[in-house]
Amino acid sequence: MDTVQLLRGVEVFDGLSEAELKRVAGICREARYKKGEVVTTQGEVGDEMFIVREGMVEVTVGEAEGGAPRTEVNLGTGQVVGEMALVDRGPRSATVRCVTEAAVVNVIGREVFERLCQSDHHIGMLVYRNLAADLSFKLRHRHLARR
Amino acid sequence: MVYKVSIVVPGSDHGGAILNLTEMPRVGDHLQVGEMEVEVIEIMDLMPPRGDFHFMHATCKQVEK
Repeated sequence: MDTVQLLRGVEVFDGLSEAELKRVAGICREARYKKGEVVTTQGEVGDEMFIVREGMVEVTVGEAEGGAPRTEVNLGTGQVVGEMALVDRGPRSATVRCVTEAAVVNVIGREVFERLCQSDHHIGMLVYRNLAADLSFKLRHRHLARR
Repeated sequence: MVYKVSIVVPGSDHGGAILNLTEMPRVGDHLQVGEMEVEVIEIMDLMPPRGDFHFMHATCKQVEK
């Protein structure tokens, strides 16, 4: 699967044209993780967003405060993680680990992402709207998981 | 069409999952969540569809092997 094909199935990029998806694909780089390897660590500064391309990652919180890690959610192909660092520039809110034999992710850095959004406001408007919807979906999932 | 599905497994330590599926999940379907297999016992729309995406929630139980 090429990157444009992957992005077409990612809600955050819903509504983008083929040409716009190609521009987003142009700022992605690929990273690979083995089972147990950490993608992000809660509390650390981060400036990248990750799109799960293959495998699954687990999102946990609590370790940074010295407690036992609590699993918030597992994210499969097409899900984004680390997007809060692009939106609010705060420290990582969770630790993310690869929980399958391997995981492949596409990485987008904040600086190139903001440059792209500033150069093409249509991309910026759609992606930020979709990021808000993705965060809303995750919040609804969390509420249902804690019923 | 992409079915973005929130998956919850009540009574388990599992934090659930969010998966993209290419077919609409139905009660009785078995889904692979990482290394765990689950069966859908309840399904509902979570948010109205937008573009190529449907947003659903599935309550599941773990399939014992």
